[in-house]
Amino acid sequence: MSEPMIAARRVFKRYQRGGETLTVLDGLDLEMEEGRFYALMGPSGSGKTTLLNLIGGLDQADEGELVVAGANLADLGSADLARWRAANVGFVFQGFNLIPVLTALENVELPLTLTPLSKKERRDHARFALKLVGLEGREDHRPQQLSGGQEQRVAIARAIASDPKVLLADEPTGDLDRKSASDVLDLLARLNEEFKKTILMVTHDPFAAARASLVVHLDKGQLGRIERNAAPAAPAARS
Amino acid sequence: MVSFKLVRRYLGKHKVRSILTIGSLVVALFLLCMLRSLVVALDAGVRGAKRDRLVVQSAVSLFVDLPQSYQSKIAAVEGIETICKWQWFGGRHPTEEAFFAQFAVDMSELPKLYPEIAIVEGSFADVAAERRGCVVGRTLAKTFNWQLGQTVPLLGTIFPGPPGDGWQFTIKAIYEPTSSAVDGNTLFFHWDYFEETVESTMGMTPGTGTYFLRTAPDADQVAIAGAVEQLFDNGPQRVTCSTEAEFQAQFVSMVGNVPFFVAAIGGGVLIAIVLACINTMLMAFREQLHDAGILKAVGFTDGSVAGLMLAESLLLCGLGGFGGIALAKLSEPGLRAALGSMFPGYEVTGETLLLASALTLAVGLVAGVVPALRARALRVVEALRSVE
Repeated sequence: MSEPMIAARRVFKRYQRGGETLTVLDGLDLEMEEGRFYALMGPSGSGKTTLLNLIGGLDQADEGELVVAGANLADLGSADLARWRAANVGFVFQGFNLIPVLTALENVELPLTLTPLSKKERRDHARFALKLVGLEGREDHRPQQLSGGQEQRVAIARAIASDPKVLLADEPTGDLDRKSASDVLDLLARLNEEFKKTILMVTHDPFAAARASLVVHLDKGQLGRIERNAAPAAPAARS
Repeated sequence: MVSFKLVRRYLGKHKVRSILTIGSLVVALFLLCMLRSLVVALDAGVRGAKRDRLVVQSAVSLFVDLPQSYQSKIAAVEGIETICKWQWFGGRHPTEEAFFAQFAVDMSELPKLYPEIAIVEGSFADVAAERRGCVVGRTLAKTFNWQLGQTVPLLGTIFPGPPGDGWQFTIKAIYEPTSSAVDGNTLFFHWDYFEETVESTMGMTPGTGTYFLRTAPDADQVAIAGAVEQLFDNGPQRVTCSTEAEFQAQFVSMVGNVPFFVAAIGGGVLIAIVLACINTMLMAFREQLHDAGILKAVGFTDGSVAGLMLAESLLLCGLGGFGGIALAKLSEPGLRAALGSMFPGYEVTGETLLLASALTLAVGLVAGVVPALRARALRVVEALRSVE
């Protein structure tokens, strides 16, 4: 049996709030296979976003072991972790998180500046990623000149530009209308099916979760149940 | 490169703030360059002074004249090659308001004493041939649009001129100084004309303010100065013999501790601008907090995010600082013309440019270091939670 893409073993994460210790992840054990599309659900405060941040190396666990894309994250220093993130993980956030002073193309090109690619290769990769998300012709638009759905698609293009193994999406449809949300979910499903990206998507939306192949439920910082969607919901009909 | 583009775009995002900060840096660095150049100008005589020139003056004060009889006694001291009487005239042009220095000198000795006085029009021989002949600096001639052969009238404020036409000098030579030891705004004229006129109008033989000496190249300056002073230990007028540099330094100290005041003003300007730049960069940091989190999330290291912040500070300060330095250099000819009579050696030297450049970089580093360190220490999760 092959190694899981993501393996969390007895992971704890605690925060100090007003002199009180808040345990957000409470000895979580979880394994996720390569090339699957996971939806991570649970009530507010169940530790979904915290887990996503730990898997993406944006934060560090207090205890336990977290192995992602073959790297034990606890072994990596700050600079190595940043380089590991650049090579292995792409993030898609609820609020898009694009750099407002850069154009769509430059935003997508941003993670590629950390690679040894030449300027032309970087440009070509970024253009290809934008084409893949259906934003050909919008290269020179600034984020404020794009709709929410388009911004999120630029964010997805940025996330996949450096061809990472894992895509982490935190409520990627939370700020979008139904139509744009459906487009973004189509795109994520396509990246999983065609490009075999391992995707972990935090969501509250059952319709969004229905697009994943597996739904992981968290409860009070521990793994609840895992549901398998026999046949992920078909892309929504375009109006 | 996207990173540099990012730095430029952040500066362009708040155009008014960036322009105001850059503008204040331009003014500050221009002022610093100008103030330092004024000090350099004041000090030019000291810097250009030659080791083989000595100056003899009254031990009481520079304003007490020495008898002419001292000349032959001093000249007899071993090691002295040239001696030249040097008397401050203090005349004023009847129509021109700008003041300039005039000296009565032993004209035949002047070129031996000051080879740095390079004649560019006319000749010393022409001056020698004309009793009222004078030699003027090119800067002075340009200021008043004087030509060779032109007569220059002067009103004597210390020494009244001859009845009728008053003091009249004919320009027989124009010089260009080849060293900062010589001021290009000076008029030199014949001692003989001066003495004869003073005798006839005031009924007295004039003394000389100073004697300028030039010694043999291998002479012992200290021993010569000691020997000259010893000659007149018993009067009638005791003298002080100093090097040309010490003599010139007297004039700088006469106007007070100018370097200190200039340094104090310059320091104040510098502190104010550093504080303004730190404030600007801290504001920039707060605005870019969220973006710093994004950069770190996509794989930029702590160091590279800090580097971007530092680069932004250096670019901001560099644009302003080097703008001010360029302005100081470009305005040099105009300021030299405007300040010529007060600060004859005004020049924005290479040393001033280097110092100002180093200060510019230092301001950029100081202003950027705190935001850079904060950006470095920033936790991604907290940064992403922040709202611009």
